[in-house]
Amino acid sequence: MPSYSEIMRLTGYKTKSAVSYAVDKLILDGIIKKDSRGKLIPNQLGHARILGLVEAGFPSPAEEELSDTMSMDDYLIENKEATYILRVKGDSMIDAGICDGDMVIVERTDKYRDGSIVIAEIDGQWTIKYFRKEKGKVFLEPANKNYKPIYPTQELKIAAVVKAVVRKY
Amino acid sequence: MQPFSLRSYPRAILHIDGDSFFASCEVAKNPSLRGKPVVTGKERGIASAMTYEAKARGVTRGMRLSEIKKVCPDAIILPSDYETYSMYSRRMYSIVRRYTPDVDEYSIDECFADLTGLRRSFRMSYEKIAEKIKHDLDTELGMTFSIGLASTKVLAKVASKWKKPNGLTFIPLNIAHQYLAELPIEKVWGIGPQTSALLHKYKVKTAYDFVSKDNAWVIQYLSKPYIEIWQELRGQVVFELNLETKHDYQSISKTKTFTPPSADRSFVFSQLSKNIENACIKARRHNLVTKEIFFFLKTQDFSYTGFDIKLSHGVSVPQEIIKAVGDVFDTVYKVNTLYRASGIVLGKLEENITVQQDLFGTSVSIENTKVIYDFLDKLSKKFGKHVVFLGSSFTAMTTKTHAGERSDNTERSKDLFRGETKRKHLGIPMLGEAM
Repeated sequence: MPSYSEIMRLTGYKTKSAVSYAVDKLILDGIIKKDSRGKLIPNQLGHARILGLVEAGFPSPAEEELSDTMSMDDYLIENKEATYILRVKGDSMIDAGICDGDMVIVERTDKYRDGSIVIAEIDGQWTIKYFRKEKGKVFLEPANKNYKPIYPTQELKIAAVVKAVVRKY
Repeated sequence: MQPFSLRSYPRAILHIDGDSFFASCEVAKNPSLRGKPVVTGKERGIASAMTYEAKARGVTRGMRLSEIKKVCPDAIILPSDYETYSMYSRRMYSIVRRYTPDVDEYSIDECFADLTGLRRSFRMSYEKIAEKIKHDLDTELGMTFSIGLASTKVLAKVASKWKKPNGLTFIPLNIAHQYLAELPIEKVWGIGPQTSALLHKYKVKTAYDFVSKDNAWVIQYLSKPYIEIWQELRGQVVFELNLETKHDYQSISKTKTFTPPSADRSFVFSQLSKNIENACIKARRHNLVTKEIFFFLKTQDFSYTGFDIKLSHGVSVPQEIIKAVGDVFDTVYKVNTLYRASGIVLGKLEENITVQQDLFGTSVSIENTKVIYDFLDKLSKKFGKHVVFLGSSFTAMTTKTHAGERSDNTERSKDLFRGETKRKHLGIPMLGEAM
């Protein structure tokens, strides 16, 4: 609860005795009370649960539920600054459920492991494949038996990890 | 030579500089450009940024397209994609803000950050924090940054420029004199050709020569801005970080070049009208009104003519400005003259608090206009910019600003996902296609 001088500021009263007059009335009505050190404390709270602010009427339980929801953005995007989109071209990842024309949401990071779907840079182009690591050798594996795995001849440049696929109908 | 402090970092100021930022954004989006001479600024007709490969071939900032083609025939010249550049820029600031709230958004491709006092909470040295920031920026944005750590802004700038591109340079104050001894005075941030010529006369060739001069000497020979640089080079903070996010504008200006140049009065006026609408959109977005405007036309031979208009009250809607401009347009516009650009500057900006009542009751109609523009701004928010525009801007809105090769649109505006429109797309950078 605010102090007397804070109440002065809040209400615009010019003196503390004016505040005291109003406070005494509230104490009389049993709305607030004074603790052992004379500080104001609420008298009646603790019986009702606060469910968010409502203009009038009964508090709606929906508000309590909503405060625990996330937006589609928050769901799909973990690290906002590192997130990008790409369009998938071709069917090399079809068995992973990633089709031609799909939008993929990717995150630029150097943290990926065997089995991550990654965006790699091969011959100046982006390619989307599984990242595989077997016996210390790394390679890219398509999700379509008509395509062959890609064994890098030079350093394998992994730019990003696929976090989500979005397809709008 | 002797150090001018025994402490390494009385303050820890970081300067972060995106290496050939616009061009790097283009390469980050499109890996087929890697290792090639890439130049941005096609729509302006001059190079606004270029990759190190293009720099090595002699392309410089401000060079005209025709000349670029001569010195570097295989240069890849792209139109500027400011939407993407500003997204990358904002990401740069946010990544740095993970480490410290004290970030000075100095320009689209540069920022300063104050790390002073953060060693304990991160349990690592300033150098290590700088290294981590660089790692995050490089991996998450897919381009390189040059970073300098030192005790003042001017020294941090020396550090970030020390090794470029992809540099990470630490200049602790106790060894700063060694760096300054190698630095020609004209390379110091803020020292122009005039000042360096003056300093050369007094045998001040390097930044170390400069800081070795005593207080009395600098006061006798130099003016305040250079005395401040002298102090900063000695490790005394004079330039504090500006922590405000760029919000209050001194002025808002919108200029657009159009090709081919035109002598058609209604075409030129329509271009100006479009600029005015754009400037007003920006003013309303920041809740500002203007009390003084300046408009100008640029002729084919690069001369400018303009007119300054004072307004009786703060304005942020285009038709009032267009009306004021229309009244005097013909004193500026000359028949049979080819014009290549038009521009508007909204000056004397102030916050739009309450409209002051005026004697002649125009404030009622201002209120009505305000209601209309509140709705128009909502429409633009939903359907994209310029979904509704003024009749006076019609010609400019419906014809291309540039004929010929300069009319090239950015890749992003051509390559849309289902549900995106030409005027409005997802606020996430698009990296193109993945096979």
